[in-house]
Amino acid sequence: MGILNNLWLGLQEFGQFLPIMMMLIGVVIGIIVGVLPGLSPSIGVALMLPVTFGLDPISALVLLVSVYLSSNYGGSITAIAINTPGTPGAVATTFDGYELTKKGKPLHALLTSLTASTVGGLVGTIILILFSVPLAKLALSFESYEYFALGVFGLTIISSLAGKSPLKGFISSGIGLLFVTIGFDTELPFSRFSLGIPDLADGIEFIPALIGLFALGEIFYSIEKGDYKEKKKSARVNLSDKLRVKQLLKLKSVIMKSSVIGTLVGCIPGAGGTIATFIAYDQAKSSSKHPEEFGHGSLEGVAAPEAANNGSVGGALVPLLTLGIPGSASTAVLIGALMIHKLDPGPELFTKEAGLVYGIFISLFFANIFMFLIGLLGNKLWIRIIAAPKSLLYPIILALSFIGSYFIQNSVFDVGVCIAFGIMGWLLKRGDFPTAPVVLGLILGKMIEENLRLSLVKGEWIEFFTRPGSLIIILLAVISFFMPYIRKKWLNFGKNKK
Amino acid sequence: MFRMKLQRYIAGLVVTFYLVLLGYLYLHIGQEKSFPARPIAIIVHSKPGSAIDFMARKVAEIARKHSDVAFVVENRTGTQGLVAMQHVLDMKADGYTLLGVTKSFLSTVMVNKSKVSMNDFLFIANMVSDPEALIANKSRNFYSLEDLIRDAGREDYTQVWIGPGTGSRDHLMAMKCWKTLEIHNTQWIDYKSGPQAVLALMRDEAAVYVGNPADVRGKTGLGIISITSDERLTPLPDVPTFKEQGYDMNESMWRGFAYKRGVPEEAIRYVTGILQKVVLDEEWINYCNESFVFSNFEGKDEFTQRIVDETAETNHYLKKAGMLVNYIKESSVHPVIIFILIALAVFFSIFAYNRFHTHRFNYDQIVAGGILSISFFFLHLTFLFQIPESVVITSPSLMPRIWIIVLILLSVLLIFRSESNKPVTRLTSPGTVLIIITLLLIYLVTMQWIGYYITTPVFILSAMYLLTYRKISIMTINAFGFVLFSYLVFNELLHIDLPLGWWFL
Repeated sequence: MGILNNLWLGLQEFGQFLPIMMMLIGVVIGIIVGVLPGLSPSIGVALMLPVTFGLDPISALVLLVSVYLSSNYGGSITAIAINTPGTPGAVATTFDGYELTKKGKPLHALLTSLTASTVGGLVGTIILILFSVPLAKLALSFESYEYFALGVFGLTIISSLAGKSPLKGFISSGIGLLFVTIGFDTELPFSRFSLGIPDLADGIEFIPALIGLFALGEIFYSIEKGDYKEKKKSARVNLSDKLRVKQLLKLKSVIMKSSVIGTLVGCIPGAGGTIATFIAYDQAKSSSKHPEEFGHGSLEGVAAPEAANNGSVGGALVPLLTLGIPGSASTAVLIGALMIHKLDPGPELFTKEAGLVYGIFISLFFANIFMFLIGLLGNKLWIRIIAAPKSLLYPIILALSFIGSYFIQNSVFDVGVCIAFGIMGWLLKRGDFPTAPVVLGLILGKMIEENLRLSLVKGEWIEFFTRPGSLIIILLAVISFFMPYIRKKWLNFGKNKK
Repeated sequence: MFRMKLQRYIAGLVVTFYLVLLGYLYLHIGQEKSFPARPIAIIVHSKPGSAIDFMARKVAEIARKHSDVAFVVENRTGTQGLVAMQHVLDMKADGYTLLGVTKSFLSTVMVNKSKVSMNDFLFIANMVSDPEALIANKSRNFYSLEDLIRDAGREDYTQVWIGPGTGSRDHLMAMKCWKTLEIHNTQWIDYKSGPQAVLALMRDEAAVYVGNPADVRGKTGLGIISITSDERLTPLPDVPTFKEQGYDMNESMWRGFAYKRGVPEEAIRYVTGILQKVVLDEEWINYCNESFVFSNFEGKDEFTQRIVDETAETNHYLKKAGMLVNYIKESSVHPVIIFILIALAVFFSIFAYNRFHTHRFNYDQIVAGGILSISFFFLHLTFLFQIPESVVITSPSLMPRIWIIVLILLSVLLIFRSESNKPVTRLTSPGTVLIIITLLLIYLVTMQWIGYYITTPVFILSAMYLLTYRKISIMTINAFGFVLFSYLVFNELLHIDLPLGWWFL
């Protein structure tokens, strides 16, 4: 009864003019933030923070949470339309989303992503409401040993991202892992490999590198292939080929599973939604009936990362609200917002401010639904953009990538990083080296090194294998690494038998 | 026909709007008479939501009541504050760029051996003093400093103190405490970030977390053992100070504002006046209480004296912690030359291998050669690290070397494997791509000088032309329309200013 009672309190708190307005505005702004490359959810939330100073607590938090939620969805739109992940969490969406666009089915990808994001967001919210206390224990139980194991587990995903040549996939990830060691040492106050260049002292900024690798790399590659010479409005966008509800329903188990993965990984402080999307993609591939379609325009490949990404929003709120620990860059800003409004995040918040906490939960529900409606309307616009001639579209995307990289820290150096990674992405693509593992390396490298070294300071090597948490994750990593090969052997074995 | 007319009409309209926007943005520049004529930027070195960002935003909000112009907070993160400091030094000393400063800047400048010095700045006002706090898990039953000292005195026991950063303020504070409390068998573990350290304390992995009083907010399992201010905090009446327990230690994180040297006296007087009004405002007093900090206004002279005193002290403790050594050996040869030599050696080896096996270079080998060169270059750099044995527990070169070795092995394997491949042939030449890249670089450089609004349409139009698009009115609508769109989204909706160009400012 307690929960129902609280939900009723929350509904009363949320069900007023201002909070509802803020949710509507937040969703729209969030989608815009997500669509613009370079503006990540955390930057979007931070930009809205000053606006909330004058609002009452519930309206302020509803605005920020709505921006956070819908920007996670917005990132997938550009990922699908122009191979430019609008947010880091949308990297995995490019693998199949953009392939679908190239096949003339962007609408399929967009609708799948929208549905998966919405369901993921809803599942994340439900899990948050029902299980925040046990999940908080999970978040608290993660020590450096488990973080290290999780990082290694993340790396094993390369074997399913590598595509045709696993060797090239591993090389790509090695590049990412090596480049992320540039910058401040994880323990001592000195900068490694930065050659005395002040802008490099902090290392390579992730988002410009990401925009460069994907957006610029793809454009350079396409220009070299000469596909901008098609003058006609691209006839490849086939609008009559509608996505049937039946096809979406087929994805329900993938979406549900990925939503849960997203929520669980999302609730581990510091792990974050982006890692969750990769894990969900990998899991979807290994349990799919058609793993061969992954990377070539599989709807499951779009649904899995998107469901996980939006599921992670609910997850990230668990440590924030229950422990008072921000689990991601966006929730770090949210904690600031809570404090501005004199609210102390932590276990007491649920008892002292039940109406407010549950009001946020309820707003997440409605924000998901509103996001779905806005997304449906928006799809028409995105389709028109995709259909524009490439020679018109590419210069605009280049300019957009420029502003995107510039704004993260108002740094011209970052724009240079974006161009450099664009050239690298192009050179790699020409030789059939996959670029996704580079990103995976950039994401996981720091987590692996920091936690390995912290663990060794605290204890011994053996603890990675004696602690149940890290042991389980390491075993999962081993299984996940060899799974694609075992599967292949198994299928061949089956064929030979027949 | 009608369609083309319409397109031309829209193009004309878009260009008109664009020109109006340019006029609006640029015409008022340089027309300033008395200070202040436009908003004053507060540069903050950390992300939105951090303690100093929050303070700066609060100041900006309250200042609005007392000032004719707005104060706008701008976050420029990176290199523990050096990016923000350098940015302020790059701007004109006209009083429109204020730097949010904190005590951590003292160690940042020293540890990074940076060219930026505290002497480049004029410290105009200190605003708050945030006492350091020793925080423990309640299960340890530490109620006073005596409890802590007794715990540290146990035999065969190392008392673990944690916090974010090595050589950070919190680390130095820990060292100062050990000296003051005369405890010896202690260890500092750096948890990289405050939240991770707090999580570790919640799991009871350590005896003490060094932080600020606000860190315990909402966390029922944690308690403050003691704070390092002269008097107790009003909102925390039960938390004792060091002084009450007989230890003379006053260590707090201050946060204030500084200008670049050379700012006109008029601007300093104006801004100081506003800040003085801010600290008397009731909203400010509420902010201080809610954030568990003391409002502690200090004017230019007092604040500058504080910087001088604390610089000497910080230097002493950093030296003691072994932080002021050179971690990287000077190499006598310029790194670029070394890289070129490595690359030559690598490609010569591949060439020799190919000769031996009668192959020609193929694309995979070129990529592998590039990666090998970079890997060997990084390997060379790791040999220049020199880490004092007193501080190191795990080597900074451990992880990079693992990745380097993996990359070298894989690249060599790729070179061997690629022998059966045919040399890569491509249908089109990469010429257009190279021109586009050159165009991007020109855009990057000119944007800094003459601003985003002028260079962007030029870039977009020339790129479209290069990609053989020729419908002039459509090109115009897109190029200028994009600039108008970005103005609306960034400046108006998200309140981020796009650069107007150094040349005009």
